Amino acid sequence: MDANVFAAKGGEKKRNPGLDNFITTMKLFVKTRIAFVGMIITLIYFLIALLDAVYPQYLGVTNLSSMLAFLHGQSVSASAQPIAPTTVGGWYYWLGTTEYNIPIFPSILASLKYDLGSSLLIVALGAATGVIIGTIAGYFGGLLDEIVMRITDIFFSIPFLVFAIAMAVILSRVLPSGSSIDVIIALTIIWWPIYARLSRGNALTIKSLKFVEAATASGSSRMRNVFVHVMPNVLSAVFVQFSLDLGSIVQIFAGLDFIGFHIGGVFFPELGNLLNIGQPYLAQPYLNLTTGQVLSSTIWWPIVIPGIFLLIFTVAINLMGDGLRDVLDPKLRR
Amino acid sequence: MELRYYIVRRLLVLIPTILGLTLLIFILMRSLPTTYLIAPYTAGAKTTAAKALDTATAIKLLGLNYPVPVQYLDYLNNLLHGNWGYMAAGGGYTGSVLTLIGLYLPNTAQLAIGATVLSIIVAIPLGTYIGARPNSVADQSGRIFSLFGYAMPAFWLALLLQIIFGAKSVGGAPWQIFPITGVYPESVLIHTPAWMANGTSYPTHIFILDALLNGDPSAAWGGFMHIVLPVLALTYGILAGILRFIRAGMVDAANQEYVKTARAKGVNEKLVIKRHVRRNALIPTITVMGLLFAGLLGGVVLIEKVFAYPGIGLLTVNSALPTLQIYGIAGTTLIFGLLLVSANLVVDIVYAFVDPRIRY
Repeated sequence: MDANVFAAKGGEKKRNPGLDNFITTMKLFVKTRIAFVGMIITLIYFLIALLDAVYPQYLGVTNLSSMLAFLHGQSVSASAQPIAPTTVGGWYYWLGTTEYNIPIFPSILASLKYDLGSSLLIVALGAATGVIIGTIAGYFGGLLDEIVMRITDIFFSIPFLVFAIAMAVILSRVLPSGSSIDVIIALTIIWWPIYARLSRGNALTIKSLKFVEAATASGSSRMRNVFVHVMPNVLSAVFVQFSLDLGSIVQIFAGLDFIGFHIGGVFFPELGNLLNIGQPYLAQPYLNLTTGQVLSSTIWWPIVIPGIFLLIFTVAINLMGDGLRDVLDPKLRR
Repeated sequence: MELRYYIVRRLLVLIPTILGLTLLIFILMRSLPTTYLIAPYTAGAKTTAAKALDTATAIKLLGLNYPVPVQYLDYLNNLLHGNWGYMAAGGGYTGSVLTLIGLYLPNTAQLAIGATVLSIIVAIPLGTYIGARPNSVADQSGRIFSLFGYAMPAFWLALLLQIIFGAKSVGGAPWQIFPITGVYPESVLIHTPAWMANGTSYPTHIFILDALLNGDPSAAWGGFMHIVLPVLALTYGILAGILRFIRAGMVDAANQEYVKTARAKGVNEKLVIKRHVRRNALIPTITVMGLLFAGLLGGVVLIEKVFAYPGIGLLTVNSALPTLQIYGIAGTTLIFGLLLVSANLVVDIVYAFVDPRIRY
C-alpha cells in the first residue's frame, strides 16, 4: 500500500521536506525586513527588464538613437546642451536628456534588459560550469583536484577587470560576432573559478558525510553520488554567492562598456554606455542658452542619474544576498 | 615549522603560479591571428617607420615559424631579457612595452599606496570603535556605510567626486578645487623643472616623493592635489571591505573565553579591547587583504580611465581600445598578475608571522 493512503486517512497531507524547508526559509527571509526589501527592489528591476524584453511595444528600444523616433517621431540630431530634468514634455523627460537630446529615463528602462540579462546569463553560465567542475574535482580528489585547483590559482592571480579587458578584447578579434556575446563569453570564462573553488570546498566536507557513505553502500555509483547526493548540498552556498555576484557582474559589465568597449555599438542602451556618453558633460557648465547665464557649473544629470539606478540595484542585491546567507546558514538560524 | 622554512616553501609555490600566469597570457596572445602579433613590427614601432619590417621578416624575427612549445620558451626567454614587445602608434603610445610600464607603474603605485594606507588608517580605529559597540547607532551607520562601499561602482564614485569636488571651468564652488585629469600640476608641465627629464621625475619616478626630495614643495602639493580624488574613489571600496571584516572579527573575538578571563581578572575595558579583542580581530582581516588588493588593482583601471591618469591601468585600457595593441595588453596583464601574486605572498607571510598556527 502507498504511504500516501495512510497520510490521507489521517487527514494529513504528505509533507514534502524540501518544500517545508523552503517555506521555513522564506518565512525567515521575510522576517529580516531589510533583506526582503532588497529582494523586492531586485524583483522590480527584473520585472522592468522582462517587460521591456517581452513586450517590445511597451518600450523595447534596442538602440538609443531610435529612442526619439520611437517617442516622438523625431530623429537624432546634435544638440547644444542636454535638457535638465523637467516635468515639461511627458514622463520621458522627467530625468532630463543626455547627448543628442536622448531622454535619460526611457534609456535607463531600456538598458535594464541588457544589463540584467547579460549579468544573469554570465553568472548562471559561470556558476553551472564552476559547480560541475568543482564538485567533480572535490569528490574525486587526487590529480584531477590538484590540476583544477592550480588552474583556478592562475585565474585568481590576475585582477578580474584586467583579465576581463584582455579576454574580451582578444575574443572580439577571434570570434566573428563582434557584439555583446564576446563580453559575455569573456566574463563567463573568468567567472567560473570562484564557483569551482566554493563547490570544491563544500564537496570535500559533504563527501565524507554518512549519507553519502550510505548511498555508496546501497549501490550508488560515483557519478550518481556526485550529481544526486553531493551537488544539491553544495548549492545553498552557491546560491548566496550567485546573488552577490550578480551585483559585481553588473558593475563589471557596465564598467567595460564605460571605458569604451561599446559592447553593442555606440548607441547600445546600457548603463555603462550612458555614463560614457554623459562623462564629457561633467566639465561643461549648464547655460541659459538665450541669455548665456550660467545656471550650474556642471551638467551632472547624464552621469548621476544612470549611476543611481545602478547603485540601487547593487545595494538591493547585496542586501538580498546578505539576508540569504543569514537565512541559509543553519548555524545562524536557531 | 620555523618562519623562514615557511617562506621558502611559499616562494616555491610561487614558481608554478607565475609559469601558469605566463602560459595563460601566451595562450591568449597566440589565439590571435598572426597579423596582430606582427603589426607593431611591420609598422616600425621597434625600428623606425622608414625601416619597418616586412611580414616575412617580422614572422622570422618573432620566431612565429617555430612550433608553439618552442614559441612559449622563446616568450619566457624574451620576458626575462626585458623584451616585452612593442606598441605601434595608434593608441597614443609608441615604443617598448617594458619602458612604458616603467614610466607608468610609479604613477599607479602612488594611487595604490595612497589608497591602501588611507583605508588602513581609517578602518582600524573606526572598525575597533564600532566593533566594540555591536548593534549601536554607530554600528548601524557603519554597516550602511560599508554596504554602499562594496555596492558602489568605483568608476561612478570617481565621476561623482569629479562633479562634487572637481575644478570647474566656470562658476565653481569654493570646495571645487581638485584637478580632474592627469598627474602633474600645470606649473610643472609649462616649466619643466631640472629634476624631470623626458617627462619622468627622478630619482624614484614617484612624482610627489621626487618633488619633496628635490625641495620643490609647491610641485609636491600640486601632485598631491591630483591624487586626492582618485585615491578617495579607490579607498571607499577597500575601506568598506576591511571595516566589515574588522567588525565581524571584533564581535567574534569578544565572545571568546580569553576575553571573559581578561575581564574577570579586572583588566581595564580599553585594554581588553586593544590587547585581546582587536589583535585577534585583525588576524582574519589580514587574510582578506589579498582579495581586497585584487579589487583595488581592478579599480585602478577604471579610476585611471576616468581621471585620464597616466598609470598602467590607463595603459591597459589604451592598449585594448580603440586599436588592439597585443603586447601592451599582454605586458600590463602580466604586471598586474605579478603585483597581485606578490601582494598575496606578502599577505601569507604576514599571516604566518602573526598567527604561528598556520605554519603547520
